[in-house]
Amino acid sequence: MIGKGLSLERRIQIGFGIAVAIIAAVGAAALRSTEATVDSARWVAHTLRVRAELEAGFADLIEAETGVRGYVITGDTSYLAPYHSARTTLSSRLAGLRGLTADNPPQQRRLDSLETLVTTRLERFQWTIERRRTGGPAAASQAVIGGRGKELLHLVREVVTRMEDDETELLAVRSAALQATARVARLAAWTGVLVALALAGLASVLVGREMAGRRVAEERLRLLVGSVRDYAIYLIDPAGYVKSWNAGAERIKGYAPPEILGQHFARFFTPEDVAAGRPAAVLHAAATEGRYEEENWRVRKDGSRFWADVVITAVRDDRGALLGFAKVTRDLTERKLAEQALRASEERFRILAVTANDAILSADRHGNITYFNPGAERIFGFASNEVIGRPLTALMPERFREAHRTGLARYVATGEARVIGKTVELAGRRKDGTEFPLELSLATWKHGAEVAFTAIIRDIAARKEAEDTLRRYASQLEAANKELEAFSYSVSHDLRAPLRSLDGFSQALLEDYHDRLDDAGRDFLQRVRGASQRMGTLIDDLLSLSRVTRGELQVGEVDLSALAAATAADLKKSDPARDVTFAIAPDLVVRADAGLMRIVLQNLLGNAWKFTGKRASAHVEVGAQAHDGRRAFFVRDDGAGFDMAYAAKLFGAFQRLHGAAEFPGSGIGLATVQRIILRHGGEVWAEGVPDRGATIYFTL
Amino acid sequence: MHDRSILLVEDNPDDEALTRRALAKNNIQNEIVLARDGAEALDLLFGTGPHAGQPAAPELVLLDLKLPKVDGLEVLRRIRANPGTRLLPVVILTSSREERDVVSGYGLGANSYIRKPVDFGQFVEAVRQLGLYWLVLNEPPPRPDAA
Repeated sequence: MIGKGLSLERRIQIGFGIAVAIIAAVGAAALRSTEATVDSARWVAHTLRVRAELEAGFADLIEAETGVRGYVITGDTSYLAPYHSARTTLSSRLAGLRGLTADNPPQQRRLDSLETLVTTRLERFQWTIERRRTGGPAAASQAVIGGRGKELLHLVREVVTRMEDDETELLAVRSAALQATARVARLAAWTGVLVALALAGLASVLVGREMAGRRVAEERLRLLVGSVRDYAIYLIDPAGYVKSWNAGAERIKGYAPPEILGQHFARFFTPEDVAAGRPAAVLHAAATEGRYEEENWRVRKDGSRFWADVVITAVRDDRGALLGFAKVTRDLTERKLAEQALRASEERFRILAVTANDAILSADRHGNITYFNPGAERIFGFASNEVIGRPLTALMPERFREAHRTGLARYVATGEARVIGKTVELAGRRKDGTEFPLELSLATWKHGAEVAFTAIIRDIAARKEAEDTLRRYASQLEAANKELEAFSYSVSHDLRAPLRSLDGFSQALLEDYHDRLDDAGRDFLQRVRGASQRMGTLIDDLLSLSRVTRGELQVGEVDLSALAAATAADLKKSDPARDVTFAIAPDLVVRADAGLMRIVLQNLLGNAWKFTGKRASAHVEVGAQAHDGRRAFFVRDDGAGFDMAYAAKLFGAFQRLHGAAEFPGSGIGLATVQRIILRHGGEVWAEGVPDRGATIYFTL
Repeated sequence: MHDRSILLVEDNPDDEALTRRALAKNNIQNEIVLARDGAEALDLLFGTGPHAGQPAAPELVLLDLKLPKVDGLEVLRRIRANPGTRLLPVVILTSSREERDVVSGYGLGANSYIRKPVDFGQFVEAVRQLGLYWLVLNEPPPRPDAA
């Protein structure tokens, strides 16, 4: 192959040079061949002319002799015409022949002889003619015979023949030489043509291959650039107009190729940058330096901004003329935002560390303090510069120091952590030597191979004190609760016993002393009994109220519908004569304490039953409805109802809105309900209209 | 020794009187043996202390829970722990309706748990029912001493 290392241009140049040289050589050879052919033809013509002249001259001479002989015989002068014309033509022919053979000395010499012979012959004719005129035919015949005419003619013939032969011979020699020359030239021409064709073929193959290679490379490059999606790669002309656009450019900047090709690249800049003349400045910088790079905000088609890493490279041709610019742009918004977020986060943490109430401090692997925040200064009493570089043990009471050193050494050596990652309560030592309880959260982090620790320390002296107080209160409360429980227990036993006596002995009086009591006396005893029994109910209700606040909630799935139905059935059984319709919505399932929910429904349905007691027929509805995004359950009746003005009193213990004579009751039922609902984290409220009914709502 | 008596363990004289009245009103004629506190009840049942060698053998024990010296639940526990009284029907008759008392009572082997109602009429009815059940309908367990 021709110079593998040479550029295509060089190879094409060399190839063309060789081809041109060969074509020139072929041309020269062809020319040479043509010239030889022309020469050859000229020489043939020359020879033919010489021979024609010679033949014509000889013929002239023959004709002149024939004329002279006619005149001699007849004396008629008209026979002398050929002789006279021969005299002029022969001299001109001889002169012409002399010219034609001027380059041929032997022919010239032979022409001299011929001229002499012709001249001699012509003089002989002159003399014969003279003799005829003057001496008559006899003298003339004598002159002819004695004139040796035949001999002379023979000589002329000989010379002419020799000259003709010479010309012919010369023609043959020259023709042969010219034929040889023409053959060589033809050969050269054909060889040249073949070589040129071969070269042209070779060049065609080489160029074709090179072009194909370039096409493939260009196609690959085009596909490569076109398919790059993470980078916007495009070309702009020297004035800044977009000339090409790849997929990455479309993705990053949002323009489809038809929208952007031919547009000015200034539209990628922010309005501020455009106003500041940045687009032109950037191109100028790239043109001057060959390359320009910056990170800055750029604008997408939709107007949103992105943080771009832009590289602009000037594209120049071989002579250095600016063809345009290649632009490569990368969207670094995420990185930029991450950096900003990181900076903001660092700032936040710095502010946090500076403003934190807690002590935040860091230490290196040797346990020496590397950071000490203002909170630490406040808590420990040391200024930051007094402790930075000093061991952490300076902040500990003597008795903890050895354990700290051992623990640190163990952690650094084995990675075994006992305190790290946990919150522990320890004691700290202030600058003035006083000890205080602290809470320590220790974290460790690796910076490269280096281990470091960060501690967050809270002075819990106040908290400890508060905890102690709280503990004291708690135990007091517990004692009080126990007392209360004992109290309730004895109330349930001891308070009821006298009531039983009151009731029992009143009854005994009524039975045993019936006839000794008048109506008033019996009525009084009945009142004693009624009061005792009400007191008994009151005690029971109070005990159940106190019971609902005690003990753990046993939360599970509770079917309120089923509970309500069971309660309603009990109520109906208690007074089958009453006409009360219960409408209970199905599937009111909640998570609650089943025992307490039973008390709630017993109270609410019991109230509904009670307060509809004066209706000939009553309706009680149990259901649920949405209330502030929660499910509110309700028990609605169409009984006595209540005035909303007193709604607030409804849930207080011993609060009653109806006289005891009208509706019996202790006024504890709704207080109990409220307490149960509050224990479940719910709300309870009531709506009512006097004589129209009441609705009690609750959420859980 | 089968005396068909009822041992009433009750410290409150009023309650004692009312219980006796309620039993009488229901025509329960069985002898009433009274113990004023838990210790006395145990002495009576086991023939110890002042009653050494003369253990009572009641048909039924009516046991209050809140008692001086030894409380009712302890009395019940001791009754059930003793082979001689292990099967003795014991009805707890008390003011308390506290769940823990009910649960402990049955847990220790009480045969019934009856809360004394304030309403004497109801009390009479309760005593009628318990008398009918335990003294008339119920077939008592064989007595160890009678065997």
